[in-house]
Amino acid sequence: MVDATYDNQVDQQKYQQFMEKIEAGGKIEADDWMPDDYRNALIKLISMHGISEIMGALPEKEWTPKAPSLHRKLGIMAKVQDEMGHGQLLLRVAEDLMAPLGKNREDIMEDLLSGRLKFHNVFHMETKTWADAGIVGWLVDGAAIITQTNMLDSSYGPYARALKRICAEEVFHAQHGEAIIMALAEGTDQQKELIQEALNRWWPALLMFFGPASANTTGSSKQDTTIKYKIRKNTNEELRQHFFTKYVPRILSLGLTIPDETIRYDEENETWIYQQPDWNEFKQIISNNGPRSKERLQLRRISHENNAWVREALGARRNISAV
Amino acid sequence: MDTNRENIDLFYEEFVVFSKKNPNGHMTEQYTLLAPNAELALMMAQENFMRREPVSDLWVVKRSDITAVKPEDREMLYRLDNKDYRNTKGYGYLKKKWREKEQEMFDEKEILSWAKGVGK
Amino acid sequence: MSIKSAGEITDQAYKQVLAELLYQLGDDDFVLSFRGSEWLGLCPHIEEDVAFSSITQNTMGHATMYYKLLEELGEGTADELAHARPKEERKNAVILEEKNGEGGYMDEPRYDWAFTVVRNYFYEAAKKVRIDSLKQSSYSPLANVAKSIGREQYFHLKHWEVWFTQLLSSTPEAAERMNIQVERVWQDFGDVLSLGPSGEKMAEFELIGDEKTLTEQWLKQVGSAFKAAGAVMPEGAPGAVSGNGREGFHTEDLTQALDTLGEVYNLDRAAAW
Repeated sequence: MVDATYDNQVDQQKYQQFMEKIEAGGKIEADDWMPDDYRNALIKLISMHGISEIMGALPEKEWTPKAPSLHRKLGIMAKVQDEMGHGQLLLRVAEDLMAPLGKNREDIMEDLLSGRLKFHNVFHMETKTWADAGIVGWLVDGAAIITQTNMLDSSYGPYARALKRICAEEVFHAQHGEAIIMALAEGTDQQKELIQEALNRWWPALLMFFGPASANTTGSSKQDTTIKYKIRKNTNEELRQHFFTKYVPRILSLGLTIPDETIRYDEENETWIYQQPDWNEFKQIISNNGPRSKERLQLRRISHENNAWVREALGARRNISAV
Repeated sequence: MDTNRENIDLFYEEFVVFSKKNPNGHMTEQYTLLAPNAELALMMAQENFMRREPVSDLWVVKRSDITAVKPEDREMLYRLDNKDYRNTKGYGYLKKKWREKEQEMFDEKEILSWAKGVGK
Repeated sequence: MSIKSAGEITDQAYKQVLAELLYQLGDDDFVLSFRGSEWLGLCPHIEEDVAFSSITQNTMGHATMYYKLLEELGEGTADELAHARPKEERKNAVILEEKNGEGGYMDEPRYDWAFTVVRNYFYEAAKKVRIDSLKQSSYSPLANVAKSIGREQYFHLKHWEVWFTQLLSSTPEAAERMNIQVERVWQDFGDVLSLGPSGEKMAEFELIGDEKTLTEQWLKQVGSAFKAAGAVMPEGAPGAVSGNGREGFHTEDLTQALDTLGEVYNLDRAAAW
């Protein structure tokens, strides 16, 4: 457990205590000592997770005012509201970690708009029809639930606590997505067609969601650091496999076809065999060159700038009343 | 005896004590105590209220720093019970539908069981 | 006079006037909650986005309750009433259908928070006055709905009142933006306060109080917020320069709203979604 980055004995000792603590299942709090690469990994992970929730509200939001009944309008509104709420919980955790670096919420938004802060690949994609909103609610959320539950025991206390609440709400999200899909799958031919088309559109993005199997695929991957520091348990590939195990049978049970003729479960090796998505495309997408990257960022930019006067006014008012 | 005690009443500042039992828990409001300042309040909090139980973290907050809902505004906390659309109970009918398709419902128990991780 | 259920109504004139009132109440809440749903994800900050969305959901829930009362009168299902009625049959006030600002919610939405705060605060104040009156309505199912909605609406009024008074009394820039919107909303708020061509009948049937009294109560309520903010309330009663929605007059903004909110529903009105 000796880390070569610490030549100073005091820090080496702190590092050792830190590792012993997290390996025994202990929790690190915001004010506790932590290795720099732990803090940096957390900031990167949690600010990306948080901002992805905020950006992730947008694709489904496109269909929120259009949802086809009062019940669906209310359901998807509550769902997208939760996404904003999850973004709020997570950004608060990230903001506390960034405070010692002199950064706040405004900086996170600026980082997003300048392209320094990335958001998940799936939220760069187009939601073409109501069925896309359903697929996002069902399978993108399904994939997100797989990755988020995997971090419920995270060594970083504030993150684990935020995730506890998020995952509890995700149970509603999972069922909300299923309800939309179930109605379409049991509906008219047109409705069934809509959902198959949406699944075809979303399949590669869903596979990409878990990230590359190793750094060899895309040139970088943080999964080793996050596993070493007990922030999460499983690798990207293990989580993708878990997603297949949980969701492939359900997709098929609705009479849908998975747009990958090669996908099958290899009993002998206990592994799903599947067609890799185009990882070069993945790199393009997360560099803000996806089908809807520019438009979604533009929405965020307009909202941020257009309403800046409100934050300025009440920020100023706080100074006035504090005097 | 010196009767010049102009500041004596200022000694009694009110603090609300919050604590949590374990690192995974949330801060819970405990009781209130009187102390002249936060630093001293923190020195007294645990022994006054949690001397027989484990404490993993502790806060004291000046009562006057807390903004509360005014009693006449409590009505603002009321919500109608017509929001099945945002609760799992509004989607309970899915259980039967999945059964028909020989699948299980992804309920809270199933989903939270994924926290154990896979293949370990 | 008290009528306990739709089945007890024998007077066709009463039924017609009651339906008229329910359309106004339902359509107001529905179209404003639609505008609220367009804001989702675009608010000045994340915490407000979450809070505002709950108000929007509650308000759509209130619209649904009124539409259910219409359903009991045999006017059609709540979903049909919300999605399928053409523009000229809508009874909402014009100011409530107006867009949140320039642009669409998916395309360059330059939404105006000052407009939203003023419109929502004025509306919630008017809604409270109406709800308080409806609690004594001769139609018991409506009185009961009013009692339920009234409790939940307390927070809505409070929420917008805080935004209204704070922005109005903050920076000169904010006060100016707010005052521009106060003036704009004021000149078109008249039809929110109007009970339409059947207003007198509504009062006669004791379905709701008379328009004049309700308007005075509203002026008093809103006046106290202006005073708290140290701002000046416009003189005279609000106008309806863009036309009276209660009489079926509507703008192109309502066309956009109905096209959007009915887009999926209209793909197949008979399908289960």
